[in-house]
Amino acid sequence: MSSPSKRDPHRIVRGDEFGWKVDTLPYKSIPELFRLRVKELGDATMMRQKELGIWRAYSWNEVATIVGEIGAGLASLGFEPGEVASVLSNTCREWVWCDLAVQSVGGVCNGIYPTDAAPQVEFLCADSRTVCLFVEDDEQLDKYLEIADRLPLVRRVIVFDMEGLAAFDDPRVISLEQLRELGRIHLQKHPQLLDERSRSRKPSEVAVLVYTSGTTGRPKGAMISQDNICSVLASLSSTLYEGLPRGGERIAFLPLCHIAERMIGEFVPIERGSVVNFVENPETVFENLREVRPSLFFAVPRVWEKVYSQVAIGLSEADKLQQSTYGWAVQVGREVAQCTLDGREPAGALKLRYKLAQWLVLNNVKRMIGMDRVEVGLTGAAPISPDLIRWFLALGIPLREGWGMTETCGGGTATPRNGMRPGSIGLPGPGIEMRIAEGTNEIQLRGPNVIIGYLNQPEKTAETIDAEGWLHTGDVGHVDDDGYFYITDRMKDIIITAGGKNITPSELENDLKFSPYITDAVVIGDKRPYLVVIVMIDQENVEKFAQDRDIPFSNYASLTQTKEVQDLIWGEIERVNKKFARVEQIKKFYLLQNQLTAEDDELTPTMKLKRKLVEKKYAEAIEAMYR
Amino acid sequence: MSPPVQSEDDVILALANVESSYGPIKAIRGVSLKVRRGEIVTVLGSNGAGKSTILKTISGIIDPNRGSVGFKGQNITALDPSVIVRMGVSHVPEGREVFPLLSVRDNLLMGAYTRMDRDAVARDIEMSYSYFPILRERASQDAGLLSGGQQQMLAISRALMAAPELMLLDEPSLGLSPKLTREIFEIVVRINRERGTTMLLVEQNANMALNVADHGYVLENGRIVMDDACAVLREKEDIKEFYLGKKESGVRGERRWKKKKTWR
Repeated sequence: MSSPSKRDPHRIVRGDEFGWKVDTLPYKSIPELFRLRVKELGDATMMRQKELGIWRAYSWNEVATIVGEIGAGLASLGFEPGEVASVLSNTCREWVWCDLAVQSVGGVCNGIYPTDAAPQVEFLCADSRTVCLFVEDDEQLDKYLEIADRLPLVRRVIVFDMEGLAAFDDPRVISLEQLRELGRIHLQKHPQLLDERSRSRKPSEVAVLVYTSGTTGRPKGAMISQDNICSVLASLSSTLYEGLPRGGERIAFLPLCHIAERMIGEFVPIERGSVVNFVENPETVFENLREVRPSLFFAVPRVWEKVYSQVAIGLSEADKLQQSTYGWAVQVGREVAQCTLDGREPAGALKLRYKLAQWLVLNNVKRMIGMDRVEVGLTGAAPISPDLIRWFLALGIPLREGWGMTETCGGGTATPRNGMRPGSIGLPGPGIEMRIAEGTNEIQLRGPNVIIGYLNQPEKTAETIDAEGWLHTGDVGHVDDDGYFYITDRMKDIIITAGGKNITPSELENDLKFSPYITDAVVIGDKRPYLVVIVMIDQENVEKFAQDRDIPFSNYASLTQTKEVQDLIWGEIERVNKKFARVEQIKKFYLLQNQLTAEDDELTPTMKLKRKLVEKKYAEAIEAMYR
Repeated sequence: MSPPVQSEDDVILALANVESSYGPIKAIRGVSLKVRRGEIVTVLGSNGAGKSTILKTISGIIDPNRGSVGFKGQNITALDPSVIVRMGVSHVPEGREVFPLLSVRDNLLMGAYTRMDRDAVARDIEMSYSYFPILRERASQDAGLLSGGQQQMLAISRALMAAPELMLLDEPSLGLSPKLTREIFEIVVRINRERGTTMLLVEQNANMALNVADHGYVLENGRIVMDDACAVLREKEDIKEFYLGKKESGVRGERRWKKKKTWR
């Protein structure tokens, strides 16, 4: 970053410069790809989900039958090509079945976050002109029923899990089982239905709607085409999967409405022929991880942080010998990781020590966290601390960073297999051009993965995708001479203090989040004399900290108010402050007194604090820090 | 948020970070609570939340792994139960535990075992009878022959006989009819008001407990998740939904799924 660049910092960087290539795919759409894989893999397992605690496997053939039935069932209800069906459910097998079925009959599939409240569901259904709504269970159904009268376009609601609804009778609502039965009857009369429907839509037309979580304003529906999706799939084998075999195991737990899990938890595994295992619920991710031992693990930084802090906490309970052995092993691991990062072979002696460290400690740690089979770890959707990446590299888990957004269909950059640079989001993928805009330093991207636009919002589309096809990402950053891109912040998040100093809050925030005691933080200071921060503590780790030191507390709020916890967090802030210039020092902080959940407005569905909302909701606390 | 402590002298019982376990199983995982003199404080929680363990740890039946129990400013952590009783803490155990083969009167005298002042003991027996007249009628009967409600009355009276400053009541409503439960709670409140006996009440009958108590703690999985004045607790969404069984029935008129607890 400090070395002066020799190359034009605003040049166009093409992914093809790095030897990455676009594959020629034998299909043009997800339904085509799916049919292809069903033919190839037949009775092999495609997905698993637990039923009463036991993993139940579904073969490609089984899923194909189910998808055909759901698709035909939709058609029997009058679902036409180009119409929209929405799925309101947690990540589960039915989600994928319905997505494939809707696309197979030429429909557009839209996902709604299961944590959304009824008014949000209403907006998303109305804006997308949803005609069929899939809901997970009675809880999600109740959201629809609350607003049913205001959604005249919704013709039918299909419920996955009918438990508790035996006595419920509403002509608008049927079970997924009933829909499949309708489909079976329909298929007898129209056996060629799916074939006919597969030709009903062009690959350039919208196939999938993904609403951006909208930290400001109302959500925008990104229109994604089969071309967009396929262009991302065509870039995989030379980038993310370079040198890796097909197949393998995956674990899916992030919301499928989010483009990242939609790609990596659904479309990419179909392309790669990998088995997807759905977690039981968001709380069992770590247990399921140990059971499945996936070969590729994709998670947002928050989850990687949690894995790290579990080990850190476990270690604090270990005895002295274990602690020092671990310390030694991780140090050896870090040295080897540094060699890999610098692109050189570790020396013979170091290699030997690393072997010993793996055998004594590192492999056990990997086993303990369920990552002993991980060939690629992938992080994305939010910035991650470079220190954290180094720790995973030290363990021997190749944690790579990818950057993409809904508007790029999840594609974008990736760090190469043997050329990771912690702190960088990597190089543009094959077929993708990227540049740093002059003046604003905004990262801009052009490629076949850039979405068609935003549904019903041509003016927003025009603002985001310019006439030359460049997508204005809203991320600010720079590119180094080797073509590595770095994000410093979101454009609209940059803080200009009253002293006129430009500060990128996410740098500070990411460093804070590396603390096991801090889950998330929002740095504030725009037009203010100094910086302050709002901190969400990690409940589990801070509780343990308090308990170990006999600090009395009763509930979450009282925990945040104890002097020791306040000192602890201040200590973490001081640690971060040391790394930054004097004008960038955080002077005061405020701990959120409620444990937030995904249902709360302040958090995005991926559990990040929403800056604007936090600033508004805690305005009083913020003001108090400037008094 | 707990109300500001008026003065530390008011606090008759204070638990700080108490952890107790049964073998390898941690029943309470760091509980801190305070009871002020003259108050009725309740601890709510489901089965296995660790409510009874808290009371047993206070009265010395279980020694905590860590943390401390303070009574009237003295550290009574892990003291012998007999010492703690003499200091003024009486425990009314879950399931009454009366001496079945002793008469009602003898059960009461057992409660007064630690006392030497015979006249006062006689007066207190009379007082018990005045609270629970049925016990006078059954004074010479074996306690094992009493009904469940009567045994509960006896267990409370027996605890009272030690002239405690603090009574620990473990689920007095267990297995009793709503009418009897109400009667017993009325007496509990009377004892508190008339004699100034501080009460720490553990209950599953949240509705009853929230009505009689001044302050409440909610215990889940061995940790306190919420505490406040009972009047405030009664209005909290999570308390209504999970402890009082009041929920909006929704559009369908019935609801099976549970909201997520947020404890705020």
